[in-house]
Amino acid sequence: MAPPAKAITSPVPDAWYPTLAVFMLAIGLVLTASFFIYEATSSKRNRSLAKELTTGGVASVFLGFGSLFLLLSAGVYV
Amino acid sequence: MGISRFVLLVFTISMLASPALSDLVLSKVDRRIYLTSHIVRISSTLEVENAGPETVSKVLLAFPDLQAQNLAYLMASPHEAKAKVKGLTVGASFTFDVLAVFTHALRPMPEQIGQADIQLVLYRDSAYYLSPYVVKVQSLSLKLLDSRIESYTTLESTKVQGSEIKYGPYENLPAFSSSPITVHFENNLPFAIAQELVREIEISHWGNVLVTEHYKLIHGGAQSKGEFSRLEPQARENVQGPSAVRYLVAHLPPRAHSVYYRDAIGNISTSHLRGDSKKTELLIEPRYPMFGGWRTAFTIGYGLPLQDCLYESEGRRFLNITFSSPMIELVIDTLIVKVVLPEGSSDISAAAPFFMKQWQETKISHLDIVGRAVVVLEKTNLVPEHNQYFQVYYKFNRLSMLREPLMLISGIFFFFVACIVYMHADTSISKFSASYLAKQQWEEVRVAIQQVHNIICRCLATHDKLEASLRDLSRTGEVQACKAARKSTDGLLKELSKELKPLMTFLQSSPSAVQVLSKVEELVAKERELLEKLMAKHSTAVEAYEKKSGARDIENRIALQQQKITALRQEVDDLLEFIDEI
Repeated sequence: MAPPAKAITSPVPDAWYPTLAVFMLAIGLVLTASFFIYEATSSKRNRSLAKELTTGGVASVFLGFGSLFLLLSAGVYV
Repeated sequence: MGISRFVLLVFTISMLASPALSDLVLSKVDRRIYLTSHIVRISSTLEVENAGPETVSKVLLAFPDLQAQNLAYLMASPHEAKAKVKGLTVGASFTFDVLAVFTHALRPMPEQIGQADIQLVLYRDSAYYLSPYVVKVQSLSLKLLDSRIESYTTLESTKVQGSEIKYGPYENLPAFSSSPITVHFENNLPFAIAQELVREIEISHWGNVLVTEHYKLIHGGAQSKGEFSRLEPQARENVQGPSAVRYLVAHLPPRAHSVYYRDAIGNISTSHLRGDSKKTELLIEPRYPMFGGWRTAFTIGYGLPLQDCLYESEGRRFLNITFSSPMIELVIDTLIVKVVLPEGSSDISAAAPFFMKQWQETKISHLDIVGRAVVVLEKTNLVPEHNQYFQVYYKFNRLSMLREPLMLISGIFFFFVACIVYMHADTSISKFSASYLAKQQWEEVRVAIQQVHNIICRCLATHDKLEASLRDLSRTGEVQACKAARKSTDGLLKELSKELKPLMTFLQSSPSAVQVLSKVEELVAKERELLEKLMAKHSTAVEAYEKKSGARDIENRIALQQQKITALRQEVDDLLEFIDEI
């Protein structure tokens, strides 16, 4: 007798999709803003590549997840 | 007669090959033929008795050849639900039910009708049950709709009771006996036939199973002849065009959401949706009522929650969903089911309660790199009884779900890297042109000014420390701590002024710093003045404490100095702000 089958659900509850999308996109946009402010105000000598890359990397992670949850909450189940 | 002769020949050959055939006797056969829809259903109850010398485990069912062509679904089940027989022993009897479903079995006669005519169909069958065994007692009843019966074959013992025609009971008929009968009656139920139905089931592990169905329908009844007038069906609906297909009903699974109904032109708004806990009922009306021979094509789509369809067992995931169309009373000529599995699925197989052709394809959908695996299943000649659950098994690693966000993240990160590269790249054509050199010098001046700004801020911080020590003094009266603070701040300030010197010389020597130089020098001068005044105030305060004069006395002495100090401080702050904005 096969063991009873367990229903599979998505790893993140459906009801959280819109909230998660808004918060992640907000944080991502704030980090993007800080990245561009740093680019604009620092002079050539003071710029540090490590700081640029980390800010850009963290901003892209938040923006990536935010846009994924935005697509899911809009009904495009990717 | 010719048909049964041919079948007789075939079965005679097989009879000679298997002697066990003649050992069974059908003691009672009850046949009910339901002609209440364009799908003909024959439900027979057979009681089998073993009269031979051996135990028998198989019973043969025979169908005339023409009928067998139209056979879509055949199922046999025991009459009592709990009966389970492994072999029929000598002398025992066993009752079971057989359900046979036929498509295209009703022939419209006349074959062409006008728009306002009723539809009459013809059904041919045999009054005697065709069987390779001897039948002791048999009866037949044909159930029709509550409408006109044009004609029917009259044999001995034929009765008509309302909308039911009964033939029989007949006794002790030999094997393979048949007596053809014909019934000509009115049947206005919609003859909807789907010539091709493509069902696409897309699974997304983020929470949704999307089902899209593309229909190509045809009205399979009497062909329409003559002119078509749209006014007549609308004016007197129940009288004109009674056999037209006006609407179709589909029973979708419960909790179906985002249902849409459209065709190549666009959305079709003539539809109704009603849901309860057992099913979701969708009623759709095509853009025009379909008369005989007319076609239409449309698409229906809906989404189902993931936990209703997808399960996990023994390390494999499987999709459990109905196979055929959710429409009631629809005959499907060709059905193609495509199950689109998410990217990263492996070890795919499909299982269904009946035979069908399967193969695999690839489909590229949202956020895909290599494409999604698609299991394609094909079957012909389906009836609503085929709408059973089937399973598609596959293996999926949970981490593969991260492919989609990783694609988005890497795309956005590439954009950021492009920005960094753009800012770092030096796009000047000539490195010795006047404007390029001037820009470089201005950059250096800016850096120097920023450093001056930093130093002045640190000086102001030490001033604040000094002021704090004075306040401590007024609270606690400890002169030694105050003096120690004074000494440390002296040291710090000396260092800061040392740092400031080379910057000031650079600014004075640089030609492009001329505009801001005056302000910077003013700032430095003012700061120095402020420092002197602060030191003076500090010394007077310490002296006064040492002399142990009254608090009011001390206040009066340093009041004047304090005023000047605050004014100077304000000016220094203004200059700092101005320099900051450069």
